[in-house]
Amino acid sequence: MFRRLRSLLRVLASRRDFESGMTEELRFHIEQYADELVRSGVPAPEARRRARLEFGDLNSVKGDCRQERGLYWFDELRRELRYAVRSLRKTPAFTTTAILTLALCIGANLTIFAVIDAILLRPLPLPHSGRLVTLYNTYPKAGVARDGASIADYYEFRSHIPAFRSLSLYSFGAATVGNPGSTLREPVTHVTPEFFATLGEGAAIGRVFTDAEMTHQTDDVAILSDAYWKEHFHADARAIGKKVWVDGFPKTVVGVLPPGFHFLSSGSQLYLPLSSSPEQRTPAERHSGGNVVQMLARLRPGATVEQAQAQIDAQNGALEKYDPQAKLMAAAGFRSLVVPLHADQVASIRPTLLVLQSGAFVLLLIGIVNLVNLLLVRATARSKELAVRQALGASRAHVMSEVAAETTLLTLFGGLLGLAVAAGGIRLVALLGADRLPFGAQIAFDGRLALVAVAAAIVLGIVLAAPIGWFHLRLHPADALQSEGRGGTAGRSAQTLRHGFIVAQIALAFVLLTGAGLLGISLKRAMEVSPGFRPDHVVAGQISLVGSKYPSPKSGLAFIQRLVTKLDREPGVSSAGVATNIPFSGKNGKSAATVAGHIFRPGESPRGYYSYGVAGSYFQAMGFTLKAGRFLTGADSRRGARVCVVDEDFASYYWPHGSALGHRLFQGSEQAPENEAFTIVGVVGSIKQAGLTDDTAQGAVYYPYIDRVNNNFFVVVRGSLHPEALGLVLQKAVRQINPDLAASEIQSMDDRIDASLITRRSPALLGGIFSAIALLLVVIGTYGALSYAVAQRRREIAVRIALGARPEQIRAQFLSLAVRLLAGGMALGLIGAWLAGQAMQAVLFHVTAHSPAILAGAAAIIAAASFAACLLPARRAARLSPMQALAEQ
Amino acid sequence: MRNTADLLPGTLDMLILKAVSLKPLHGYGVLLRIRQISGDALEIPQGSLYPALYRLEHQGLIAAEWGQSENNRRAKYYTLTAAGRRRLREETAGWNRLASAIAAALNTTSEEV
Repeated sequence: MFRRLRSLLRVLASRRDFESGMTEELRFHIEQYADELVRSGVPAPEARRRARLEFGDLNSVKGDCRQERGLYWFDELRRELRYAVRSLRKTPAFTTTAILTLALCIGANLTIFAVIDAILLRPLPLPHSGRLVTLYNTYPKAGVARDGASIADYYEFRSHIPAFRSLSLYSFGAATVGNPGSTLREPVTHVTPEFFATLGEGAAIGRVFTDAEMTHQTDDVAILSDAYWKEHFHADARAIGKKVWVDGFPKTVVGVLPPGFHFLSSGSQLYLPLSSSPEQRTPAERHSGGNVVQMLARLRPGATVEQAQAQIDAQNGALEKYDPQAKLMAAAGFRSLVVPLHADQVASIRPTLLVLQSGAFVLLLIGIVNLVNLLLVRATARSKELAVRQALGASRAHVMSEVAAETTLLTLFGGLLGLAVAAGGIRLVALLGADRLPFGAQIAFDGRLALVAVAAAIVLGIVLAAPIGWFHLRLHPADALQSEGRGGTAGRSAQTLRHGFIVAQIALAFVLLTGAGLLGISLKRAMEVSPGFRPDHVVAGQISLVGSKYPSPKSGLAFIQRLVTKLDREPGVSSAGVATNIPFSGKNGKSAATVAGHIFRPGESPRGYYSYGVAGSYFQAMGFTLKAGRFLTGADSRRGARVCVVDEDFASYYWPHGSALGHRLFQGSEQAPENEAFTIVGVVGSIKQAGLTDDTAQGAVYYPYIDRVNNNFFVVVRGSLHPEALGLVLQKAVRQINPDLAASEIQSMDDRIDASLITRRSPALLGGIFSAIALLLVVIGTYGALSYAVAQRRREIAVRIALGARPEQIRAQFLSLAVRLLAGGMALGLIGAWLAGQAMQAVLFHVTAHSPAILAGAAAIIAAASFAACLLPARRAARLSPMQALAEQ
Repeated sequence: MRNTADLLPGTLDMLILKAVSLKPLHGYGVLLRIRQISGDALEIPQGSLYPALYRLEHQGLIAAEWGQSENNRRAKYYTLTAAGRRRLREETAGWNRLASAIAAALNTTSEEV
């Protein structure tokens, strides 16, 4: 088999040599024979004649030889292709329309496929990545769907779960890396010793962390990424044992990671120990996750997620007796969930991507239907020619392969051009911010995509060939010769088929339009949601107090007060404040709070609230609305006043009929001694913390900064300056107080809100683009079908006009055809739109899947577009000059 | 009585292999050689010789190379490959078995039944 293939390839590679060699060989034979005849006494001319005669037909021998070499199919294919090229070139308008239609439809599909491939299909670039799982604690009844994992969990689960080969913790962060004085913030990851083994990787040089390095006293070690090692240590193996400075402290390099190692989307330069204190490992700290650290585990070969989940549940059950909060947490619905890592990472974006791929696919269907219609019109024009050829002996297989060669040639060109469209589409998707999606950086225009394009093009070519081949072969040649004559009326079945396709096309476009409308309205509704604060003219940046200058909460507070005072005095700044977390920061951890004296109702559990430590004029700077009492001020932190502010959701949950002011609450999930209580001094309007489409109104509590200290905080500045100028003012103020510090991620609140809408805006925009293309295709399709119908019936129209029909009657005849097609399409489209709406529920926001306004709007747009497409052919029909039309025959 | 026999189907390939196994030959030479070694009894139809040669080459049983003919002209010479040699051996053995079986069957007399 292999030998024959090689022989075939050799011949194909030098086809011209093969042909000339064969001719020479056969001629040599005939001449040798003639020579022999001459030698036996035959005169030379007679000898040559006899030699040729006895050899037989040279061409048929050559044909036999070619066939023996396996060349028959190739020659046949070549002939078909040449014929197809010639016939396509004869109709440039058709060919261009077809190729552009295909290019747009295939290009749209390839673009979305590239995104889906990168995000949903490709396994993580880690060994046996299907066995990686993540674990997180959930307290659904407390309104906390996801709370990460705690350090205590790690020490409790570790080596107790047989289904796991290894288990580890990691925590993404940023640190000031480099010599003291550097202010460059680099992404870093804190990890436990088994982290790399869990991922199936090890250090390229040196070693990974040890258990002994997991305490605060012994964590002065670091592992370098390959990139950092090459840049800062010039790929010198003697880097092991050298020092790197992290947040002002020296760390000893113990290992270097292999090139190409990266975990999820983090670009971490440095890996540091995820160290903890003995207290953090006790059962009392089990529920202190707060989405700070994440748990990662590798399943043993053969073990399933379900087994792991059962073992985790059993372990949690066994640990209950050591857990002081076990009862409260059980009431909150506490569980530790085991979820495959990849699925967990892409869970939020998956429905949107699938909706988009379906949209692209519907677009492709519209394109195919359009093309089949155009091809059918073309086939009708050629049916006589093909009938004649069939009558003269062309086989059915021959007709079929000729049709397939033509359609495949079209789809291949369309596919190639579609690749170019996809290259542009991938650019567009990147511009829309796709790289911010999980694994979005992997979206690429590569060989895999090209392969998919070619495969899709070939499949499409065959799909398109089927109805056209059927059209040619369905009739007996004799019937074909009689029907659809130029002068007669169109063959019934062909016409029904064409009109059926127009109906299908209108229906599909209707579905696509309503789908895009739903996405667009969802986006609009999301944008209309008030975030609860005034995001205009506000800039926020993040500061990490690092180094030895800030050993205590007091020293941190002193820095904050100097910074806020300084900012307040800057011209163009109206207010400035600090908060440990701000809305739209991407950090959405909740903490429990307990109202003093509150007795849980049956079925009620401790609740998690967004909890903030604030200083300066944070509320004024962010633009909160005060509902009752007063805002917190910088003085509250200085005085150590045990006061707090809650939001409306919190207040109305506990005191639906009275005022919240004067009531007291505790941090944590239990009642505590009197002196730890915070008195509520103000109620502010609720804000959206995680995103505009955040529907749960769980409540929030604001404490003075000193009562909720975090060395990592946000500075918020409001002013009349342009956001960029405000950012510069902020940066300058920070540097003036401490040149070693810098504010990072400085962004206006408007921009942060904008960025949070990316998973709605981009799909809505793409949906709009798909719809526009679909409309264009419907217009082309309807115009083409109507024009053809008019052209087919010229003679009939001419006769009717000659007999006295008025132009309006003729026009009405064609417009009523258009209306019938449109009505059929809409009816089918309604069913499709209903199904599509059902399937899209997950990505909709504040809009019903069957919004009458959207359905009506889509119907109006399609009706207008297809009517516009009908007017020209209908007018042409009405204005027909009977003399001229009849004279043409 | 005719002194040439028609070729049995399937025997042409075997004869070509045998002919080129003796010495590399060009197409016309194969024709002459078969005529010669069969004592002028077998006549190859000229039109079917070349397709057979191309088929055998395609199957890798013979190999072709351009060379000089006796009268100094460019000609394509065929030689037997290792695979061709194996095939010839098998076909020869098979043919001999068949021929002796048929001969035995045809020589049977009424007394032997």
